[in-house]
Amino acid sequence: MAPYVRTAALLVGTALLTAPFLHSPAPAQADYPSRPIETIVTFGPGGGADLMGRQMARLIEPLLGVSLPVSNVAGASGNAGLTRLKTSEPDGYTIGTLISLTVASWASNIGDNAPEDFRIIAVVQSSPSFLFVSANSPHQTVEALFEHARENPGALTVATSGYGTQDDVTLQLLAEGGVEMANVPFEAPAERYASPIGGHTDVIYEEPGDVAQFLKSGQLKALVVFSRERHPEFPDVPTSAEAGIDIADLDNFRTIAVPAATPDAIVARLEEAVLSATASEEWNAFCQQTYTCIEPVTGEAAQTTITAFRDLIAKRLGN
Amino acid sequence: MNRAAGGDRLSEAPPEPSSRQGWAPLALRLLAPASFLVAALVLPAFMLNTTRPFRGSGLGPAAWPQAMLALTAVCAAIWLAQEFLAWRRGREAPLAAEAARPGEAYSYVKAVIGLVMIVAYGWLLPVAGFPIVTACFIALWCILGGLRNPFAVVPLSLVGTGVLLWVFMGLALMPLNRGQGVFDRISIALLQMLGIY
Amino acid sequence: METFELLGMGFQSAFALGAFLTIVTGLLVGVVAGALPGISFVNAMAMSLPFTYVMTPTNAMLFLGGIYVGGVFGGSISAIMINVPGTPASLPACWDGYPMTQKGEVRRALSIAITASATGGLCSALLLAFAAAPFATFALRFSQPEFFAATVLGLISVIAISKDRPVISLLSMLIGITVGTVGVDPLYGIARFSFGVPAMQSGIDFVVVMIGLFAIGEVIDLLATNRDLRPKKTGSKGLPIGLRDLWRIKGAIARGTGIGCLLGVIPGAGATPGAVIAYGVEKQASGRGAEFGTGVEQGLAAPEAAKNATTGSAMVPLLTLGIPGSAATAIMLAAMMLHGVNPGPLLFLSDPSMVYTIFAAMIIANLLMIAAGIGVAQCFSTLMRTPPAVLAAFIVVLSVLGAYGVRNNIFDVYVCLFFGVIGWVMKRTGFPSAPLVLGVILGPLAERYFMTTLANFKQDWTVFFTRPISGTILVLAFAFGLWSLYPGMKSAASSLARRRRLASGGER
Repeated sequence: MAPYVRTAALLVGTALLTAPFLHSPAPAQADYPSRPIETIVTFGPGGGADLMGRQMARLIEPLLGVSLPVSNVAGASGNAGLTRLKTSEPDGYTIGTLISLTVASWASNIGDNAPEDFRIIAVVQSSPSFLFVSANSPHQTVEALFEHARENPGALTVATSGYGTQDDVTLQLLAEGGVEMANVPFEAPAERYASPIGGHTDVIYEEPGDVAQFLKSGQLKALVVFSRERHPEFPDVPTSAEAGIDIADLDNFRTIAVPAATPDAIVARLEEAVLSATASEEWNAFCQQTYTCIEPVTGEAAQTTITAFRDLIAKRLGN
Repeated sequence: MNRAAGGDRLSEAPPEPSSRQGWAPLALRLLAPASFLVAALVLPAFMLNTTRPFRGSGLGPAAWPQAMLALTAVCAAIWLAQEFLAWRRGREAPLAAEAARPGEAYSYVKAVIGLVMIVAYGWLLPVAGFPIVTACFIALWCILGGLRNPFAVVPLSLVGTGVLLWVFMGLALMPLNRGQGVFDRISIALLQMLGIY
Repeated sequence: METFELLGMGFQSAFALGAFLTIVTGLLVGVVAGALPGISFVNAMAMSLPFTYVMTPTNAMLFLGGIYVGGVFGGSISAIMINVPGTPASLPACWDGYPMTQKGEVRRALSIAITASATGGLCSALLLAFAAAPFATFALRFSQPEFFAATVLGLISVIAISKDRPVISLLSMLIGITVGTVGVDPLYGIARFSFGVPAMQSGIDFVVVMIGLFAIGEVIDLLATNRDLRPKKTGSKGLPIGLRDLWRIKGAIARGTGIGCLLGVIPGAGATPGAVIAYGVEKQASGRGAEFGTGVEQGLAAPEAAKNATTGSAMVPLLTLGIPGSAATAIMLAAMMLHGVNPGPLLFLSDPSMVYTIFAAMIIANLLMIAAGIGVAQCFSTLMRTPPAVLAAFIVVLSVLGAYGVRNNIFDVYVCLFFGVIGWVMKRTGFPSAPLVLGVILGPLAERYFMTTLANFKQDWTVFFTRPISGTILVLAFAFGLWSLYPGMKSAASSLARRRRLASGGER
């Protein structure tokens, strides 16, 4: 038995050595930030949320003087990462991405998160969605597409991200306006983008940034934008209102959020950093490339964006 | 299920002349397929938490799992029947433990202790934090595995944990659990001491 | 020819000191990470992403490509040496590689694995360099019904790899598919089998299941038997293989390479199904099917060639179309996008030197892999000299780290340990666990391909058979299933006939 006792004694000894650290005080707000800030990206590597989170972390790092390691916590439409964010200490050492897709999922009872659980630092990216067709599609204008859909209800197929999302809501609104097209959900974004290019679906509903490379190479063509006004980067693409069906307020936005109980001083410090990051040259180049440049929305207005979006989707989905 | 499968016997062991000795071995042999059958039949009732009808057209979210569970039930039923027929013919159970090496003793006591330790390790991780729990786990496991020299075990567990921390938290930037309350503070202090934070 | 010229330029820039060192570093990181039980190459690539920020876009791709190539191979080192697959794709390496180690032929097994992997990888990299464009056009013709058919082919291969009782293997696979349905469903956004636990909505990742089933189960056996892992004194059989031996298994390597190249293009499938299908095909095609599982060279070579052959072809849709088909290529896409580079047809026009440097790097990486593989395997056999208890403790910790690292989620650790307990029970009772892992991998793919196809074709299920490519694959899958069942049916029939004879003879 002697070896056990000796081992135990050594272990206790080491434990005692670390005991002084017990009294080290919790980091004061004044010297925030003094250690790395975990950046939770609520989707896997490679998607729009991931790119935004990583770009933001990279740009904030020099401003705050600490590193911002990015961790992808994917699952349940982004709710797995948000649950982690929500349950972490509200001390500003955990920040996360919160995007419209996740907010829409709340309306379908996914996850156990709500707008009240988070404090939005800023809405940093937003982009309306478009309908795109492949370059060799027989329907090269929105009028032609809508006319074909009116004459053959449900014949045209639209690649979307799923039922019960803003994609679905848009198609539902179109159908109410007489333009009925079949919703074909693709879970994997890459397969969704490939489907109209390969001629397997007629149309794709997407924000332009996610299919930027196909737009630049001319494989996809934008037909209509679901927004109040034309997109500055696509001045020739008519809005849906111009085509006879007014659909707006279903933009894809991406935000940076912290747990709701985070102290104001820390939120202010983060907001300052995020705003100077979004004002930078590099961020501008990044958001230009993804067609998502907006004037950042902060404070109460940012919070309202989330709540209003959730309510709108919930109303359309009928619960 | 364990015994029924023949414990440590080699899979190639010749079948005993007759294992048609009674109901007890039969019950054990049928236990696995029967429980799979029951599970496959019961699980669909627990599939969806919501009674709200799904949106969109098509078969719905329950169709695929239901089909797979139905197929599972069919396979389990066939297995059950095969097992029963084999028992009636007095044949050996078809499943057998992975070939144990001849002359190798298998300590089930150690195995169960090991399993309990591994589960406890995972359970304690978020409570007491990765650094502390891992150091303790490595030390305890070495002791259990027969490495009893404290001057080997303690440095090994401390240095090992330190290296893992440095590689995964420092280099790979993994946000490993630091524990709650006091343990969080210890972990942060430790990470700052190691130069990771 | 223009391709040669461009590729020559590519080689030139890949051999520049900085680029070359990047490839070597990536390769080493990949082989080591792959070989560590629990840490898969996808883990390693995701963790390396921040390091690529500071590199040039081309170097970032070379680094990740190196990790990819090295990591897909690395998993086989631990599979062969300690029966724990380092990455899911190395699962089949346990079946015939580890028995060779038990026979004291560990060096031989490793040489076969390295040569087969390098050959497969090299062919696939050459395919990428010379036939990317036509291959991509071919890939675009594939849609959801074809993907579904290919997934069915993968699932059918479970029958081929089952030892004797196909029903039990099928059952195991179906349980795996059911496990794969946990979480939010792919179309309707509704949680299934969450039992009211929000964490369950994230679903169950196959890497986590694999780590639990194989690493934890093996570790417990190590503890319970106190098995000595030191390599046995090697006799003449322990020598690495010669060219003549390699020539003997050329068929296996060729078949594996072909299967890997084709399956790599299919989104989602990737290295693991490629390796398993290759093993199943080889079991039938090599003519030594009955011996498989006892350390047959072909049974090791074919899946090894197949899994590395998926690396090059998986990059075809990424580079030519900008469409990543797997987790690994999605990370590469992220790295490129973070540098503001959009892969796709435009990249070939705007920056062909980058594309061809990547091509050249993939070729170089596969050649260098032989050296890296031998080196890391050498280090590992030194590690084997440490007491098994120490080794086991670190395998557990690495498994937990690996499970956690998949999504940085502690719930995945619980799932991994749960499957660890299950895996041990399965091991002790002989219930096959490989089909379960395959089910967890392919089940969710099969479901979403199936459901999306129905949505796209007005719920008409006959499209699976009427579309020429998917119909052909399904017929092939069916034939493959029958082919695999044939030996079993033949022996069952003959034993039945024998029993009849005995019974009529009255000897019973």
